[in-house]
Amino acid sequence: MSLVSTPRPRAAPMTDVILSVHHLTKRFEGLVANREIDFEIPRHAIVSMIGPNGAGKTTFFNQLTGIIEPTSGTIEFDSASLIGMAPHQVAELGIARTYQNIRLFANMTVLANVMVGRHVRMKAQWYEAVLGLPHVAREETAVEKRSFEFLDLVGLPRRYADDLAKNLPYGHQRRLELARALASDPKLLLLDEPTAGMNPGETRQMTDLIARLRRELELTILLIEHDMKVVMGVSERITVLDYGERIAEGTPEEIRANPRVIEAYLGKQATA
Amino acid sequence: MAELISGRQLRRLATIGAVAAVVVLYLCTVGLVEAFKDRNVVTGVITLGAVMLLAVPLIAGYRAALPSRDPSAQTGAAQRVVLGLLVGLIAGAVLGVFVLIASTVDLRGVLVRISPPLLEFISFGLPSGLALLVITGLGGLMGALGAALLVSPARIRNAVTSALIAVLFMSMIEPLLRPRLEQLDYTAISDFLYKAHGLTEVASILCFVVGAGAALLWQPGNDFVRRTVEAAPFQTRRRIRGWAIALLVVAVLILPQVSGTFLAQVAVLVGLYLLLALGLNIVVGYAGLLDLGYVAFFAVGAYLTALLTSPDSSLGIGLPFFVALPIVMLGAGMTGLLIGAPVLRLRGDYLAIVTLGFGEIARVLFESDALRPWLGGVQGILGIPSPLPVRIDLELGATHIFATGPQVLYYPIFAFCALAALFAYRLSNSRIGRAWNAMREDESVAEATGVSTVNYKLLAFALGATTGCLSGALFAVQLGSVFPGSFDVFVSITVLAVIILGGMGSIPGVILGAIVLIGLPELLREFVEYRILVYGAVLVAMMLLRPEGLIPNRGRQRELHQAESEEEVETLDGDLVPQRSPS
Repeated sequence: MSLVSTPRPRAAPMTDVILSVHHLTKRFEGLVANREIDFEIPRHAIVSMIGPNGAGKTTFFNQLTGIIEPTSGTIEFDSASLIGMAPHQVAELGIARTYQNIRLFANMTVLANVMVGRHVRMKAQWYEAVLGLPHVAREETAVEKRSFEFLDLVGLPRRYADDLAKNLPYGHQRRLELARALASDPKLLLLDEPTAGMNPGETRQMTDLIARLRRELELTILLIEHDMKVVMGVSERITVLDYGERIAEGTPEEIRANPRVIEAYLGKQATA
Repeated sequence: MAELISGRQLRRLATIGAVAAVVVLYLCTVGLVEAFKDRNVVTGVITLGAVMLLAVPLIAGYRAALPSRDPSAQTGAAQRVVLGLLVGLIAGAVLGVFVLIASTVDLRGVLVRISPPLLEFISFGLPSGLALLVITGLGGLMGALGAALLVSPARIRNAVTSALIAVLFMSMIEPLLRPRLEQLDYTAISDFLYKAHGLTEVASILCFVVGAGAALLWQPGNDFVRRTVEAAPFQTRRRIRGWAIALLVVAVLILPQVSGTFLAQVAVLVGLYLLLALGLNIVVGYAGLLDLGYVAFFAVGAYLTALLTSPDSSLGIGLPFFVALPIVMLGAGMTGLLIGAPVLRLRGDYLAIVTLGFGEIARVLFESDALRPWLGGVQGILGIPSPLPVRIDLELGATHIFATGPQVLYYPIFAFCALAALFAYRLSNSRIGRAWNAMREDESVAEATGVSTVNYKLLAFALGATTGCLSGALFAVQLGSVFPGSFDVFVSITVLAVIILGGMGSIPGVILGAIVLIGLPELLREFVEYRILVYGAVLVAMMLLRPEGLIPNRGRQRELHQAESEEEVETLDGDLVPQRSPS
């Protein structure tokens, strides 16, 4: 706390922590899904959370996005507390997510899916839309144009734009979900098993895409993954959960060598 | 025969035949045939009752001849006509046997509608043995014709279909057209067209030729128009749509001037239901909230208007209608929020049940003796003044505007309909409409994507309620009085049926649905008794055959028919504009 310090440049906080979680606990009747979890994500990092099935990863995700409320503990995102916020408020603050089993707006067009993603950044009110004010139309056109750019970004060909989301091939559905999440200009992107159900080729494309997105959009990314190859290849730090507790945290090399992780995670897999 | 028809086809045949037979028997036993057996379509040739009976094997034959989904069972044209023939024979034989039984055993104790005149009508007054043969034969003939229609080239199929529809349509509008023609001193035309409430033979042939000719001429052009429109750039498509809307507006504007009072009255009813349907479409079609108590808003609008404008009401302030209207709409929005708030957490079926309850609560409240001092109980509120003079007679240069009775309110009602449609259209194509749709598709994902589902649900309820109340207000002033009896659950069901028939979330669909479901039954007065029955049948048929509605919302159509046309998906993947060889 130096008194003579010059005002720090705006870029300075970019190196700090974007999300910090302290002693996060979630109890469902009798079951402790998350116990006293401490967790941090440095800005612009790609961080992964791994753990066997039922380790509490998705519960953790759901608490970050406001879908379920923690029993105790704190979540701070960009120096704002997320506790007690509704999911749409969390989305507005800049956290976007994808789902383990793809959840698109199936009967809406591809373009409309992306545009819904942009919803929080749009301003038109219902009475303005009813009156057909010119700035509503301008915004609509601009968002449409921007949404096409998001399709380009995730590598979903533009000719699919008017198709229904449910008619897309599987790989494209994953990409669309990603485009929808990106459309809200998130600061933090949560990816729940983004390569689930993909073949090795598609998996490689997806990990490349994730790395590229972080670079180009200056995103911070939190991954939940089962595929160890994906996690080890793309993430800077890894947190391991087991039975709702954090059992390890470190760089991929450290995690690979950690005996508790091998026992809890890899060991189990080996014996299975 | 064994090589000609596979076991699977035989089963399908039997199923379609049985369904056709049941439908035919049902039409007879329920009294529909009897009700229409004296309504002439072509006087001295065929009546509406006969048309109904003959249409069943015709349609069954058509369906039987549809190519089967099983690619291994490809069938030739002749064989498909045979399939149609067999199906028709089954239906005819069953009806024939039934007539045979009914004429020997007296069934009237159970089936009260099986009257001797009906039996005579069906059997052409022939002795029963011969009648059985003739009926069976006729069924087979119609079935074969239906199948033949399917296997014939599209041009001929369209020509015949539209010719038949033209004849039927011209004869159906007789109660509207003939009095009007006579009123305007075109007696020669009306005598040429109609005789004994049916078309004359000459006129029917004329209609047939005109209908067929129009289809033949239109068909290639139509195809051309459609292709051009689809290939056209956005701007041109927009302009075409603009012209279509302009045409519709002009038609709506001149309708009461050329029609008689009766048609104007029907149009007013269509308009009121259209307004209701446009409102409910926001709630159900856009936001996916199944509201079965929509009549509550209709009632609130009507009662608020009655309270504020009628000098005989408990308030007795007698405000002018257009002063009261903003207050009514504000109250309506509040009611929407009031009903919306407690059901925010409910989804799907639970929401439907709770809103159904709310609708009934509203009706019971308006009916109740406890609130009688204010709301008038069963007697309702009388003496609501008309917002416009009872009679309008304007001389504007060459044009002469004349309106009386229902015609007076015709223009305000359709003006509000047009506004509601415009607003709904704008909303549906905005951020708000997308948020509603997202909520309909997956509520929790919509919320996580940033849609405040609480706000958007309340908004949908409030806007739907306002539109419904507006319709109620117009209903009240049109009638001059309100009674709780007008607001039973059947109104909710009818409005929902209009939306489902037309196509959920599609404004043109809702308009067509209101015309078909509200307007047509008024034109066929004999239907009144069977109205609910026909509604039910129409809804079942729609859900089975065309679940996305008559004019579907583009997105939904693709979804629902996707399973049937895998090729379509492939073409969507590839070239969007089909190449057409210049010939």
